[in-house]
Amino acid sequence: MLKVSHYIDVRKRAQELGCNIPTSIALLPRNFEISASKEELIHESTTPTVRVLWRQNGITETPLEQPEEKFPFVSEHAFEWIGPTIFIPAMLLSQNPHLVTIALNVISNYLTEWFRGIPRDSRKAKLRIITETKSGLYKKIEYEGPPDGLKDLPEVIREVHNE
Amino acid sequence: MNKEVESFLKEFIEVLRECEKFCFMSRGKEFQQEAVKKLTTFKQKVTSLKEQMIKIKDEDSANTMLSLENLIDAMINELKMWIALKEDKPNKAWDFLINAQFAVRTAAQAHSIAIDLNAEGYANKLHLLEKLLFPPQMFFSPSLIIEKAKCSICGKEYGECEHIVGKAYMGKMCYKIITKIKEMKVSIVKEPANKHARMLQFTDEGITRDFMTWRRIEKR
Repeated sequence: MLKVSHYIDVRKRAQELGCNIPTSIALLPRNFEISASKEELIHESTTPTVRVLWRQNGITETPLEQPEEKFPFVSEHAFEWIGPTIFIPAMLLSQNPHLVTIALNVISNYLTEWFRGIPRDSRKAKLRIITETKSGLYKKIEYEGPPDGLKDLPEVIREVHNE
Repeated sequence: MNKEVESFLKEFIEVLRECEKFCFMSRGKEFQQEAVKKLTTFKQKVTSLKEQMIKIKDEDSANTMLSLENLIDAMINELKMWIALKEDKPNKAWDFLINAQFAVRTAAQAHSIAIDLNAEGYANKLHLLEKLLFPPQMFFSPSLIIEKAKCSICGKEYGECEHIVGKAYMGKMCYKIITKIKEMKVSIVKEPANKHARMLQFTDEGITRDFMTWRRIEKR
């Protein structure tokens, strides 16, 4: 299942909250849109795993946290894999589109192994992507489905970016 | 693959095939109990070879042995489930089935050898047994806000080291050890991560029943 909707101005919101302003790919907290303050921000429990995977694959992200600062994580102990919200700036899409493909493939490959030993019908991943259109709008792409479907997301992201 | 592990694999397949034939409801309980004993003894051999591989720092072989160890655990638990059902202990049987499912998953995550040995097929069978043998369950799932969690492999804060949850490292699975919780909520869910956390009994119109057997539970 794919759903595309409007999203708030990520840079403006990061500034309001006193977070680092993302210049590259970034992982946004779950409640980034609605949080009243930085102290309330919560990451998904899968955020540290994605960070390690990216680090191991040479993908540099902009952490929203200041150095030595940590946001707590929410763990729902659900059967599905709930991934973090990934912010992909327009500049990255135009200058280094392959990085987006690599970043998502790394997650998809990890999930292939993560879901081993679970019946195929029960394998479900959720991921949210925030990207910018060429006209400067922010869009949210919500994915919910089998983990191998993540490999098709770069194409969707490009389409939304070109809107 | 290490030669010792390779030759051990043949013995492993033989033992598993031999015990697998008792993984059916109609088989005699005494044979199932015997198979549990046999597998439990055999598991010690697997664990000992795993330790040996850890000692010589052969990570691939150590993870192979971890995978085999979990496949044995899965079969032991499946056999125990059949025995518990025959003994009219469905709640215990449920726990054994969930243990078996968890062990197959761990085996499959630990090393691809489990996939070669049809762990995916085994996982499907256990999933079907869950649906066919037991009534639909009502599960509880905790939602936690975690402030600190450490890595089970190296003890560093999870995310700061290079280990990843769900992967095997030198014969051990990596998981998060939660050390500081900020908040906790419990909700009722259909598909939980932990199927052991379920409703055991309910009360309706003054009658309390066991959710699994539907039997009345008398108030003490």
